[in-house]
Amino acid sequence: MSNAFKWIAIVAVAALALLPFVPGAVDAYYFSFLFFVFLYAIMAQSWNLVAGYGGQISLGSHAFFGLGAYTTAILWTGNYLWGSLYDTHPGIYYFDPVTMALGGVVAALAAAIIGLPLLSKLRGDYFALGTLGFGEIVKVLFVNGGDFTGSAFGIVAPAGMFDTLRPHYWVALGLMVATALAIGALMRSRYGLAMIAVRDDEMAASANGIDVLKVKVAAFAGSAFIAGVAGSLYTFYIFHVGPDSVFDLDWMLLPLMMTVVGGTGTLLGPILGALVMYAVFDLARIVVPDYHPVISGLTIILAMLFLPKGLMRSFAGKARLA
Amino acid sequence: MFNLPPPDILLQLSLNGALGGAMYGVAAVGLSLIFGTMRLIFLAQGAMIILAAYFVRALFYGLGIDPFLSLLIVVPVGLGVGWLMYHGLFRKAAAEEDRNVSLLIAVGLMFLVQNLMTVVWGGNTAGVVTSYTATGIELLGVRTSFTRTMGFLIALAGTGLVMLFLRKTIVGKAVRAASEDMDAATLMGISPHRVNAIAFAIGIALAGAAGVAVATTFPFNPFAGFIFSLKALVALALGGIGNVTGALAGGILLGLIEAYVQFFISGGWTNAIAYGVFLAVLMFKPEGLFSRPYKKA
Repeated sequence: MSNAFKWIAIVAVAALALLPFVPGAVDAYYFSFLFFVFLYAIMAQSWNLVAGYGGQISLGSHAFFGLGAYTTAILWTGNYLWGSLYDTHPGIYYFDPVTMALGGVVAALAAAIIGLPLLSKLRGDYFALGTLGFGEIVKVLFVNGGDFTGSAFGIVAPAGMFDTLRPHYWVALGLMVATALAIGALMRSRYGLAMIAVRDDEMAASANGIDVLKVKVAAFAGSAFIAGVAGSLYTFYIFHVGPDSVFDLDWMLLPLMMTVVGGTGTLLGPILGALVMYAVFDLARIVVPDYHPVISGLTIILAMLFLPKGLMRSFAGKARLA
Repeated sequence: MFNLPPPDILLQLSLNGALGGAMYGVAAVGLSLIFGTMRLIFLAQGAMIILAAYFVRALFYGLGIDPFLSLLIVVPVGLGVGWLMYHGLFRKAAAEEDRNVSLLIAVGLMFLVQNLMTVVWGGNTAGVVTSYTATGIELLGVRTSFTRTMGFLIALAGTGLVMLFLRKTIVGKAVRAASEDMDAATLMGISPHRVNAIAFAIGIALAGAAGVAVATTFPFNPFAGFIFSLKALVALALGGIGNVTGALAGGILLGLIEAYVQFFISGGWTNAIAYGVFLAVLMFKPEGLFSRPYKKA
């Protein structure tokens, strides 16, 4: 990545991080707007990890997002984690790192369990189709889960502890930065190199002693972990976790689109894509409320027709992309 | 354990399942063609089917054209729309190495079509009610609905025509060659854009035919299409990707599976089991259930 570009990115993140200190900002609309940008950016990073760097097109991100969201809601409403501490500290589950991490762990475990057979047998389009089918199965399982998952209605988490979005904002921003840093570090390590090798030429990677299946499953599970944490984060915002909301296909399609618009296989691309695309969608929602999904569809098509390589590759020029 | 129901109920189940499944089949044939030449999972197929259904409905209530007669309008329009769609939207992306681009264009198209339908016709459930909608007919000693049977016949005829086209015409041969190996086909002088456009035109025309079947049989709404795309994908996998008759057979098989699961287990599990079968077939018999084993030279 060129130095200038890196500085722009750092300044942009710093500006966003200082935003909560602007008087009145917390109550403003763009505060929740940014929360969603961060949330989508995390989801986009998750997809970018498995597809952009790992080369395995997964169409099941929404399943992992939903698994994270449900895990959080179930742990919280059932108070499975903190026992009597919950009585003395009613806010203990809010953004509780353990609860959020468990959301990611459950998603990652599911990814490992389904990924092992899928990735050992299927590649390319077949793997993509398989993950799509997996997502639908998970959704039906939760609809039929009885009281444990709240069936078709889902689970309502005990709400009403916070009256500000400030913590949501900070946690989302922190997670977005942490995800980007973690993926950046990973891609500079030998494990990242192995991922790139598998993506570019499986046969050659295998011939050089890389355990291809292990690398693929690890990338898939890592991506699912990130999506699960994002789902957990969303639970603290929406409180009502239902099969139609958290397993909605949009949680897969929109991050996928944002990543491609931003630049697949680049570190800043997913963040940039999430910011730009969510801004376009939200603007359309405000300006032409009746037609905004039409505008969204049009935007995707136009972006793909004119920017098929993504913003990062189109505008960051020939600079080396990390 | 459940008791086996009397044979006439079994027959009824099988017939209804097969007739309904043929609709997935015809959608799957379209997907199969498009996937064959472009390696594109055309997720907007379902939305195009529903669009055709709305079109049929508009023709019926606006101009009084019988839904089945409107096949004569819908299919040629579908051919044209498919051709234009390829050249307008997918032509550039088809040359792109990154196939996410065409997948995303299909997704964008799906959003666009779904929501345009909502803007034009509203989000409520619509249907086409003709004088024969409630008519039943006797088939194999079982009573079934006339419109479902017609839908089945449309699916059979559509698949048959596509088969004839692929087998008997030189252009069809080019499409088959391109599905097998686009690079080799290009070297033989086959224009990729031309075969892609043909695959798209036929795919959308089949969506039009499926739209007629859907409009006369089911109530529909602008967002019903996506489920159709997914079901068509399952049918496609069951039949073997790239296998046209297999796609129709896969659709019928999926219809049967759904009918049996609904009857013997519960309606709530239909999708899980359908997708479970889908995953199992992808993993253990990726060439599909109806193809002869591939012999290595």
